[in-house]
Order: sequence, then structure tokens, then C-alpha cells
Amino acid sequence: MTLEMHPRQGDDASDEEIVRRTLLDKEAFVFLIKRYEAKLMRYLERLGVGLLEDREDILQNAFIKAYKNLNSFDPTLAFSSWMYRIVHNEAMSFFRAKHARPQVVLNEEGEALITELQDETADTSLLAETRLSQKELTKALETLSQSYRDALTLRFFENRSYAEMSDILQVPVGTVSTLLYRAKHALRDALPKTFSS
Amino acid sequence: MNTNNHNKAHIAERVFDYIKNEHLVPRPRWEFVIKNYFFWLLGALAVAFGALACSATFFEIANVDWRLSAATHTTFFSFFLAAAPFVWIGTLALFICIGYINIRRTNHGYRYSLPIIALGAVLTSLTLGTGLYAIGFGGRIDEAIGDHPPFYRPVLVQQQSWWLAPEKGLLGGEVINVASDLASFTLRDFSGHMWEIDGSDLRNPDLTTIARGGIVRVVGLPVQTGTSASATSSSFHACFVFPWNFRGGPKNGLPPPLAVVASTSKRDATTTQSDLCKNIRPYQQLRDIEDSGF
Repeated sequence: MTLEMHPRQGDDASDEEIVRRTLLDKEAFVFLIKRYEAKLMRYLERLGVGLLEDREDILQNAFIKAYKNLNSFDPTLAFSSWMYRIVHNEAMSFFRAKHARPQVVLNEEGEALITELQDETADTSLLAETRLSQKELTKALETLSQSYRDALTLRFFENRSYAEMSDILQVPVGTVSTLLYRAKHALRDALPKTFSS
Repeated sequence: MNTNNHNKAHIAERVFDYIKNEHLVPRPRWEFVIKNYFFWLLGALAVAFGALACSATFFEIANVDWRLSAATHTTFFSFFLAAAPFVWIGTLALFICIGYINIRRTNHGYRYSLPIIALGAVLTSLTLGTGLYAIGFGGRIDEAIGDHPPFYRPVLVQQQSWWLAPEKGLLGGEVINVASDLASFTLRDFSGHMWEIDGSDLRNPDLTTIARGGIVRVVGLPVQTGTSASATSSSFHACFVFPWNFRGGPKNGLPPPLAVVASTSKRDATTTQSDLCKNIRPYQQLRDIEDSGF
């Protein structure tokens, strides 16, 4: 089946407006899928779902779940946070069911995280000489616990605010701060000594 | 069409086809509303039960007289282990945990941290528990629930057992008759046994307590009279008599004070006591307690 998109119906409308429309006409849901699937596919990859087929299956399940539970969407939250939460929970269920370990893959990313780690280190002149490779960062991220990796991914790769992270991970904002603080320290400890010293 | 576009169309189509073919419809809003209220209700109920546990805790704390611990227990630590309301504090903690779990499952419950929810639940339980204790609920709960768990005895029953030990010099019960000169009185202990109490060694504070009647605690010595165990009454030499005022309990849980006509002015109570009393443990401590106004 080929779905015809009508930009006037969806492209300019807010997420919340499309949610309202979907409740009257299920076809409107396609606009939401189109709007978020690329971002969420990337997010799944960053969470460590290595295979494309697995990411597609998880995303499909997440969208179906979102559709079924559309009436539970709380308009006081951002729709994107709600969608990220569903995808995150689906990914965690996937890892549990498959007894799979997330595979951290960093492409041309991680600059924000590296900058953040450097900013917190006293001797920046020394650090300027230190270049951290993607490989080293990936290796260090792999050693972190899932909750630390989740926090770092959302903050530095998905650019989510603390409030959005709180809604996605379903923890208080204070816990998000603590989680990020500890995650950064754990990551710095896991990095090569030339970077972290 | 590049790969990315292909994937986009692919997922959107797969999802939409699935929704269409399976005739999926969003679950009705009322299901989520009810679920949300259900968890709030469970959370509130847990806090309410916590408040009941709290009122029972207050009742126990108010009615366990630590000042007489030296008479009833060998060490304060053993008294603390026996008297502290661990069961009720544990119950309170359990209900706060249940409350926390349920509140966390409400729509925005995850936004509240454990300390905030725990503090809120504890303060609510304390406030409600204080009110319930003030209107006598603590004692009722202790009495009603106390008989059922095998590991727990209501505070009343527990203390009665401590004061039903004449061989240790501890006797508790109801004053049912007092001699006009206050030299002796009759006491019915918690098992229903009658005791003739010799009050010749008692001082004014003790005599006032006897004259008021009601439930009292007597510290003294059993008197060997040579009668058989099946005798209708036994004798006891009293050295100290302390009132037993239950606080926050059911009003009908204790008998009304005895209408005693005797007056302490009828007898010139001695300030010094016989050697018989001076040998009891812990004489000086009990005397200090009595002198400080029990």
C-alpha cells in the first residue's frame, strides 16, 4: 500500500494537534510516524540496538503501542518525550528478552560529550593537545552501566533537556542530574589516562 | 528513492497496515483515567493504613512506662527490645513503601523523588495518626489487631504479663477494696486472682494512689502464709504503689476508679520504710520516681 501524504494536513501541525486528529482519523498517525521515525531510529542505534532489522521491529512495535495508548498521552508533556519513552522502554525490553548486550556505535558524534568532559577538567591547555578518537570514546562508553549510557545518550547525543530526560526515563529531575554527574565521572574514569588525568 | 526514504515508507506502511488489518483502535481514555485514580487511591489507602499504624505506635509509646523499666527488666536494653513498637514502626514503613510504589505508578508520579514522597507520606501519617490516637483509635487498633499475628501481643496484654509476676515482686491489678485506715487493701490481679495486700510500709503517694483506686502496679514481696495453691487469695507486702493510667486507649478498656471513702489523712504514713522494702530492687530508684511525682 502506498500512503499519500498531504503536507497541509500534517507538516505544519503540532504533534499534539496530529494526536487529536489521529483519534478521529487513524491515517493522521502516519504524519507522526514520518516525523519521528528517523530520529527514533538514530536513537535506537545510539542505545545500542545494532541490527537495522531489530531497530525497525522495535520502532514498529513502539509506534503500534503508541497508537493503542494514544489516549494516555498527557498533553502537558512533549509528544516527543512520550514517544522517546515508549521507544526506550521497548529497547530495554528487547535487550532483556534477547539477553543481548547493547552495542555502542558512534559515528561522527560525541563532540558535545567530549567538549563537556573537557570543560570540567581544569587544565584545558593540556587537553587541547589531547585528541580522543571515536574508538576510545566508544570503548569507554561500553564499560558504563545501561542507566549511565542512557543518560549520556539523551543529553549529549539527543540534546534533551533535564525535564525531557525526566519524562523519558521516568525519574525525578534531581535523579537525572545525579545520573549525569555520575555518568560523566564514570566515563572520565574509563577514558585513557592521557585524557582524564 | 534512497535507503533512508525507503525505510521511512517501509515503517510507516508496516505500522499503518498493521493498524488497519488488525482493526486497532486506541484504548478509551476512561481506562487510563481509572487506572491513574486507582493508583492514587491505593497510595492514599496505604498512607491511611500508615496513619493507623502510627496511632498504634503512639499508643504503645505512651503506655509503656520506661520509668519503671528498672523494676520490670534487668537492663534498659532488654526493656527497649520488649517495649519498642517495632511491629507498628515496621508496618508504617511497609505502608509508606506501598504508598510510594503506587504513587510512582500514577501519571506524574515519577517526578517525585523517594525522599519527597516518603516525607509527605510520613508527615501525613503522623498528622492523621496523632488525630486518630487522640480520639482513642490507637488503643482500639492495638487491641483489635494485636491478638491475630502470632508474633505480637497488644501493649496492654504485654504489660499485664510483666506485672503478673509476684515471685519477682511485681503485681498489677484492680483495687477492689481498701481498709478504712489504709493499712491494707484487696487487689484482683489480671488473671482474676485475689490478693490481700499489706500496706503498712506504704507512704503518702502510695496511699493516695490506693485511695483513688482503679488499676495499680504494686512493687513489693510475696508473703508466705503456708496456705495451699488453691487458696482463694494470697498475701503480698507492698512497698510502692504506682497508678496505671492508660492514655489514648478505649474508654471502656479499664474499670472506673473505685469510690474509696478512705483518706490519707486518716493514717500517718511513715517516711522511712522497713528493711523488707529496702532490700527490693531497685529501691532507691523507685523511691526517687515516686518522690518526683509519678
